[in-house]
Amino acid sequence: MATALWRGVDVLRPIAWLYAVYSAFVRQGDMARPWLAWVVLGVLGVWTVGMLLYRSHNTMVVGIELVVACAAILSTRLVDTNEVIVGGAKTLPGFWPAAAVVAWAVLKGWRAGMFAALAVGVADILEVGAANEATVSNIVILVLLGGCIGYCADLSRDGHAALAEAMRVRAEVRERDRLARTVHDGVLQTLSYIHRRGLDLGGECRELASMAADQERLLRALVSEVSVPHGDAAMGGDVDLRLLLGRFGDGAVNVIPPAEPVLMDRRVADELAAAVEAALDNVLRHAGAGAQAWVLIEDHGKDVTVTVRDNGIGLIEGRLADAAADGRMGVANSIRGRMSDLGGTAVIESRPGAGTRLELTVSKKGPSS
Amino acid sequence: MTGPEEATEEATPDVTNAVTNAVTVVVADDHPMWRDAVARDLTDAGFDVVATADDGPSAVNRTLATRPDVLVLDLNLPGLRGGQVCAAIVRAQIPTRVLILSASAEQRDVLEAVKAGATGYLLKSAGREELLDAVRATAGGKAVFTPGLAGLVLGEFRRLSVEPLRMDGREVPELTGREAEVLKLVATGMSYKQIGAYLFISHRTVQNHVQNTLNKLQMHNRVELVRFAIARGLDAPT
Repeated sequence: MATALWRGVDVLRPIAWLYAVYSAFVRQGDMARPWLAWVVLGVLGVWTVGMLLYRSHNTMVVGIELVVACAAILSTRLVDTNEVIVGGAKTLPGFWPAAAVVAWAVLKGWRAGMFAALAVGVADILEVGAANEATVSNIVILVLLGGCIGYCADLSRDGHAALAEAMRVRAEVRERDRLARTVHDGVLQTLSYIHRRGLDLGGECRELASMAADQERLLRALVSEVSVPHGDAAMGGDVDLRLLLGRFGDGAVNVIPPAEPVLMDRRVADELAAAVEAALDNVLRHAGAGAQAWVLIEDHGKDVTVTVRDNGIGLIEGRLADAAADGRMGVANSIRGRMSDLGGTAVIESRPGAGTRLELTVSKKGPSS
Repeated sequence: MTGPEEATEEATPDVTNAVTNAVTVVVADDHPMWRDAVARDLTDAGFDVVATADDGPSAVNRTLATRPDVLVLDLNLPGLRGGQVCAAIVRAQIPTRVLILSASAEQRDVLEAVKAGATGYLLKSAGREELLDAVRATAGGKAVFTPGLAGLVLGEFRRLSVEPLRMDGREVPELTGREAEVLKLVATGMSYKQIGAYLFISHRTVQNHVQNTLNKLQMHNRVELVRFAIARGLDAPT
């Protein structure tokens, strides 16, 4: 927004200068000292070109510009004869000083804009000697211009700050959610393992076990907090799901992709990949030695389905649900949580002899569509 | 691996027949070590390797000349792409069936070859026994469907079904619900027997469903090629 306003000033200044040159050229015959007019316009021209090249906007630059503008107005007194000035002729720089007023407004807000406009107005009155009707109306217009543009600049600055803050908060929330799941997927498992082994070993290990149990409880409470629904993805850019899931392939895991890229929202793809990873970890943990897993990717156009199947012993029906009911958050909670945040579904089916089949379906664009 | 496992039992009679009526094979691969190893394994197992080839054109020529039961084809041959080799063999209307041996990262090429008429696909990482089983199954007219191939075929039908409707009303092949279900189970690593038990159908029915999906895809591909040729003012490929 501020950039757009500065671009406006950059356009305004040369146009105003060309108009001033044109006006001076037309009435040079009436001037008392035409050479001085060309010197003053030359200085304004150099400044105008300089401001196009020197892109930094600071108090000193806009201050000098205001002084130059006022000086140019006052120089009209030397350039023109008294009769012409009192007769209501234009000042030498024309509406070029408006650029200085706008620059003040954009840089410092509405008060500074009005101040610059009044400064130019004072120069106008000094130049004419006595304020006539045209001078007053010009000053009023300048003051309004400075005030309004300054107000716009203030609004855009505030709005931008609020937007940045909102995005920061949202990113924080999302990051916390992501961390929470990572914590569950890794650290909680380790802590509960230490807890159990410590109790088994007895002696001093019991102390370690209870410490691990405390931390486990704290972390579990943190992770179980209801997550804030996500808004639209802040990050743009699609990724090929085949590449994300492809890295899980190894001796025990077979990734079965279609021949064409499966392009989808990066954030959705990342979460989906994390859910698949959690499921695969679960396979390694529960499906028995020598377990194989297959990860099938299906592209339905708007949606994508990832099926994870293992050839293991087949978890007893409802075991995942039981785990959640016990307060032990199993993969079920983690994966369903991820999927429902994405507006997708997770269907788990387990049959003895046929392994466990987990079907994750989600919109490629995520929850917003 | 599903297909080959299935084939072991189904194809056992072929092996006993091999003494009198050996299955003939052409092996096409541009890596001499790999080509010789495959040929040796096949010969040791009682197959008759009638020729080998190290590039695409010679693979086509030697297959047409010897008309083997099976062409074991590497997709990465110099000269002609795997799909082009398959198309040439189908066009010649000889009884040879094509078994693709491929490294894993060439899914698009595998799909192209299968659409062009190959009836089997095996990863190069497959073991010796898997390869022998796959060649037997292919010679016996059975499609060799790894989970990977099932995923590719399923993906191709999905892609065709979500493509925007065509202006000229050309029909797009569709899978029946059962066919899609079966393909999906194959693609997630289940054997035909397991699928049969899972769906309460015989494993032969499973085999038929799988075979049908492949036939539909190849038929669609041929129809498309003919349309393309006619549209370009060429003779229909015969």
